[in-house]
Amino acid sequence: MQGLQLFFDALWALLSWQTLFNTAWAVLLGIVVGALPGLTATMGVALLTTLTYKMAPDQAILTLICMYVGAIYGGSRTAILLNIPGTPASAASTLDGFPLAKAGRAGEAMGIATTSSAIGTVIGTLALAAVAPLLATVALDFHSYEFFWLALFGVIISGQLTTTSAPLKGYIAGILGLLVAMIGMEGIHAHFRFTFGVSQLSGGIGLIPAMVGAFGFAEVLNVIYSKRVEIARGTVDRIVPRFVDIWRYKVTALRSGVIGTFIGVIPGVGEDIGAWASYAAARRASKTPEEFGKGSIDGLTAAETGDNAVVPGSLIPTLTLGVPGSAPAAVLLAALFIHGVRPGPMIMIEQPAFVYSIVAMLFFATLGILVFGLALTRPLLYVLRIPRERLMPIVFVLCVIGPFALSQRMFDVWVMLFFGIVGFLLRRMDYPMAPLVLGIILGDLMDKNLRRGLTLSDGDLSPFFTRPISLVFCLLVAATILFSIEPVRNGARVLGRRAWSIGHSSRMR
Amino acid sequence: MADKRMPRADLTTGAILFVLSVAIVYGAWTMDRLEARQIHPLSAPGLMPGLLGLALVVSSLLLIAKAVRGLIPARDGAATAARADTLDDANPGAIFRAASAFALCLFYALGLVGRMPFWLATFLFVTAFVAFFEWEPGAALARRAGRLAWAFLLGLATAAVVSYGFSELFLVRLP
Repeated sequence: MQGLQLFFDALWALLSWQTLFNTAWAVLLGIVVGALPGLTATMGVALLTTLTYKMAPDQAILTLICMYVGAIYGGSRTAILLNIPGTPASAASTLDGFPLAKAGRAGEAMGIATTSSAIGTVIGTLALAAVAPLLATVALDFHSYEFFWLALFGVIISGQLTTTSAPLKGYIAGILGLLVAMIGMEGIHAHFRFTFGVSQLSGGIGLIPAMVGAFGFAEVLNVIYSKRVEIARGTVDRIVPRFVDIWRYKVTALRSGVIGTFIGVIPGVGEDIGAWASYAAARRASKTPEEFGKGSIDGLTAAETGDNAVVPGSLIPTLTLGVPGSAPAAVLLAALFIHGVRPGPMIMIEQPAFVYSIVAMLFFATLGILVFGLALTRPLLYVLRIPRERLMPIVFVLCVIGPFALSQRMFDVWVMLFFGIVGFLLRRMDYPMAPLVLGIILGDLMDKNLRRGLTLSDGDLSPFFTRPISLVFCLLVAATILFSIEPVRNGARVLGRRAWSIGHSSRMR
Repeated sequence: MADKRMPRADLTTGAILFVLSVAIVYGAWTMDRLEARQIHPLSAPGLMPGLLGLALVVSSLLLIAKAVRGLIPARDGAATAARADTLDDANPGAIFRAASAFALCLFYALGLVGRMPFWLATFLFVTAFVAFFEWEPGAALARRAGRLAWAFLLGLATAAVVSYGFSELFLVRLP
C-alpha cells in the first residue's frame, strides 16, 4: 500500500504541462529513432543525454526514459514494413510482422505491435514497482565479495548471450571493456594506471564519449557501409486493433511480459534476447506453431511484448544494484549519475520515492507510445523514406556535440572518434557491443570490490566462495562459462537425455 | 570456395590482442605496489589489470586457435571455414563508402570544429557529406543541380537548428 501511495505521489508530482510536453516530443523522437534502421535506442539515449545536461533532473530522466521506450517500440515499424528491424530488439518482429504486411494487413500488425508493446511495458513496470524494493533490500546484504561476483557475472552472461557467433568474442569484448575501466585514477589508493603521462586520461575514459562513439559514430560508418535499404510503399489498413484480438492473446502477452522482464533483470542482456526468448516460448506453447513465421498474430504479440517488457525489467538492477540490465540502461545509468541520482542498494533508503518516479515516468512513456503509435502511423511512414545519406551527417554532428558538451574539452571528442573506429571494426567482426559497454561500467565496481574483499579477509579467498550469495554467483559464472564450451554443452545434453529416458522407462514399468 | 576472411580477421585480431594482453600483464606486474604506503599487498593497483590481462592472453590464444582451425582445409575437401562466420557484404564499393564517410567525419571533428564558428563547420560538413553521397555522375545537369541544392539547404538548416537549439534552447556550450 505504501508503494501505491508513493506511486500516486510521484505521478501527481510529475503531472504538469512541462511533463506532458517533454513526454510527447521525447517519445515521438524515440519512435523516429527506433524506426530508422541504423539508429538504435542506445544511440538515441546517449545523444539525448547531451540535451538534458541543463534540464531539471526529473524532466531529464523522464525524456531519456521516453526516448528508450519509444525507440524500442519504434523498431517494430521498420520490422513490419521493411522486413528490417529498426533496432536489434525488433528482429523477432520481422518474422510475422512482414508477412502480415505483405498480406495487406500492415495496419493491423502495427496496431497489434503498439498494444503489445504497451502491455509489455506495463507488465515490466508493475514488476519494477514490486521487485525493485525487494531486490534493494536483498542487495543490502551484498558485501565486496558479492559485488565482485555480480560484476563478473554481468560481463560473462552479457558476453555469452549477446554474441551472434562464438561466446569467446563476447567474453573478449567484456574483458576489453573492463580494461578500459582500468585507465585513470583507481578508487582505493588514488594511483594513476595506464595514463602514460597524459593528464586528460587521469580521470579515466568517460562513459558517454565511449558510448556515443561505439553506438553513434560506429553506427554512422556501419550504415554507410551496408547495403541501401529500399523503402516499401504500400497502403495501410485498419490500425486500431479490436479488443477481442488483444484478449485472444492475453496468455501470450502475459507470458512474454514475464519472460521479457526476467531477461531485462539479467545484466547487460537486452531487448533482442527478450524478444527471441518470448517468441520461442510462444511458439512452443502454441497450438498452431506452423503458423509462426507466416504472419502469426501470436508470434508478433510475443516478440513485441517481450522486447518492451525488457525496458522496465532492465531498470530493476540498474536502480537497485547499479548494474545495467541492457545497453540503453547503461547510458541511462551514466545519465542518472550526471543528474545527481546514485543508484544502488541504498536507493530505497536514501531516495525511496525515486523508484516510483521512474514507474510514473514509464507510465507516461507507455501512454505516449499508445497515442503516437495508433495516431501517427501514416506520418511515420514518411520518416522511413528519409535517405540515410541525409541523416547520418546530422547524427555525426550530434556525436561531436555530446561528448564536448559534457566536459568542454576536445579530448572527449577524440575518445568518441577512437571508440567509433574500434566499435565499427569490432562489429564488422561479430563482436557484440553490450559486454564492452557493461565492462566499462562494471570495471570500477569489480576492481574495487575484489581488492577491498581481499583486504578485509586478509588475503583469504574463501569468503568469495563460501558466503551463500557469493557461492550462487560463483556457480552461475562457472556454469555460464562451462556451457559456452561446445563439448561440455553436448555432453550435458546427452546426459540429460539419458537421465530423462531412464526416468521415463522406470515410470513406464 | 569457402570464405576465409573471418578466420583471417580473427587470426589478425587474436595476434593484436595477444600482444596487447602481454603488454598489459607486464604493465600490471611492474606497476607501483605502493609498499612505501604500507598498503595490503593484495590491494595493489595492478592486481585487477593483471588478472584481466591474463584472461585476455587466454582468450586471444583461443581465438588464434579457432582461427587457425578455420583456415585449415578439412579432409573431405571442404574447408572448415565453410561453417565459420563470414564477413558479410564486404565489397570495394562498401569499403570506399565507409572510408569516405570516415574521412569526412574525421576532417569535420579534427579539422573544422574549433577552427571556425561551429555553425560554419557544421554547414560545410553536412553539405559536403550529402553532396558526396548523393552525387550521380551520369545524371542530367538539372538533377545534379537539384541534389546540390538539397545538400546546401540541408547543411544550412542543420547548422542553424543545431547551433541555435543547443546553445539557446538547451544551453549547451558548443565546440
